[in-house]
Amino acid sequence: MRRQESKPVPGITPALGRRHVLGLAVAAPVAASALLAAPVAAARTRTQAHVVIAGSGLGGLAVAHRLQALLDGVRITIVDAKEEHNYQPGYTLVATGVWPVEKVRERNVALQPAGVEWVKEMVTGFEPEANTVVTASGRRIGYDFLVVATGVHLDYAQIEGMDVQAIGREGLASVYPGPQAATATWTAMQAFAEKGGEALMTLPATPLKCAGAPLKMTFMLRDRVAHAGTLGRSKLQFVSALGNVFGVPAVNDNVLARWNDLGIEVETTQKLSAIDIGRRRATFTSPEGEKSERPYDFIHVVPPMRAPDAVKASALAWQEGPFAAGGWLEVDKQTLQHRRFPNVFGIGDINGTPRGKTAATVKKSAPVVAGNLAAVIALQAPALQFDGYTSCPMITREGSAMLIEFDYEGRLVPSLPMIDPLQDSWFAWLMKYHMLKPAYMAVIKGRV
Amino acid sequence: MYEIWLAMNILWEIALTVLPWLLALLVLLIAAWSAALVRGSAGWRAGLAGTVAIGVLAAAAVILTLPMWSRSSLGELAYWVDWANLLAIAAGAAGIAMAVAWPLLATWQGRRWRPGRA
Repeated sequence: MRRQESKPVPGITPALGRRHVLGLAVAAPVAASALLAAPVAAARTRTQAHVVIAGSGLGGLAVAHRLQALLDGVRITIVDAKEEHNYQPGYTLVATGVWPVEKVRERNVALQPAGVEWVKEMVTGFEPEANTVVTASGRRIGYDFLVVATGVHLDYAQIEGMDVQAIGREGLASVYPGPQAATATWTAMQAFAEKGGEALMTLPATPLKCAGAPLKMTFMLRDRVAHAGTLGRSKLQFVSALGNVFGVPAVNDNVLARWNDLGIEVETTQKLSAIDIGRRRATFTSPEGEKSERPYDFIHVVPPMRAPDAVKASALAWQEGPFAAGGWLEVDKQTLQHRRFPNVFGIGDINGTPRGKTAATVKKSAPVVAGNLAAVIALQAPALQFDGYTSCPMITREGSAMLIEFDYEGRLVPSLPMIDPLQDSWFAWLMKYHMLKPAYMAVIKGRV
Repeated sequence: MYEIWLAMNILWEIALTVLPWLLALLVLLIAAWSAALVRGSAGWRAGLAGTVAIGVLAAAAVILTLPMWSRSSLGELAYWVDWANLLAIAAGAAGIAMAVAWPLLATWQGRRWRPGRA
């Protein structure tokens, strides 16, 4: 690591005279625009450090913007092959016919901070002992500091017979792979709602990004079927590989009570292990290994998720404990600094931490990662701590939602204490429908 | 404090998506206020009642249409938070409508009652 210099804190602001006040009045709108247009720059640490960010999703880009604001002279390299940036929280809206697909599509280059180097390749290997990442073409990129922001791997391969290309046909739906799959899922959902029949909504046992999405899809399917007038000849069943449907007990109980009222059946500890797409039959496996085959007219497949191979196979992954099986990144859950490689930090879904694989997690953890990384570059201890905050606007039907916020311990932590997080609300729906993408864009730009 | 900052940023990002419309509104406001103030014969007091009526109409229009525009319905507003936010948005819309309407109505009233006109 290179030696860094700290810039002195700016001096005290002199008292304002009348001319200054008048000048401020004129300049205020301009200043407000400038304030919002760029991350707030406090005292910047001067450095020549090279920071590599593996991944250009929300987490990677938010940290890149923040590091540029915090560090003077930093060299940032983003490594990611993706040209398109997807607003993933909007997938459920696309997949249920609420949003057009264009609303989740952005150009990656337009979201990157100026002055960063973009290597348009995927990282295929991490060599933290050598402070190096390896790309798909075999290029080796050295770094002083690394931010791992690769996201998750959707492990559809664990489901025998599953074919992502078939989503949208034969009643097969899955919202996770991308905008096309979300659109195709809406096609399948419409076809099912017109005729009715038997629907299976699945949930795997692994950590999930947006763990509320399977529940939202279930609520919305029921809503679509009801509006289509085919509820009487339909049966909706949620089949969970876990002992519950959501990891936060208060939310789990609330959702189960709602589904009971809506006539949605729930079965637990049954893992989707195989699917015959042509015959529309799904095979579930119990913890004891017993298999049961069930017919369906519509199935929503939620894939098991794990770390991408590059992380899972590297020394960066947890070597033991509950996150080792998925190969998740071994970070301290509060500082988000790697537990064994102090020049490595993790942001977003890749982190092996309890709960929290959502955009809201990134919103609250990006300042922690950037601030702590800047502190480490300045040869200081990482002082910022992340409490595991995440949130899930749980759509309960078209036009209504619950805005659920919780922390590592599963405690409900509403931002505005007077608001009941388990109350149906049009305003929570309005936030999901119209305000959260603007908030997401502000997070990317490192402002909130 | 953080929530206020977040709300400001959300509004800013929404504004960026409708920038041409906002600029058009700004031009309209500047033109209307400039015309009313420069001529000096505007009937501000006379135009006030109509301005308030337009504000009330704008607020009512927002209350009646915003839930539908957001693919919901008035029937979904069962929580006080929903009404508080809808009324706040409606008040904002009313304020903008009145800011445009008042100079226009004042100018019109000033012309209408100018001495020497029937």
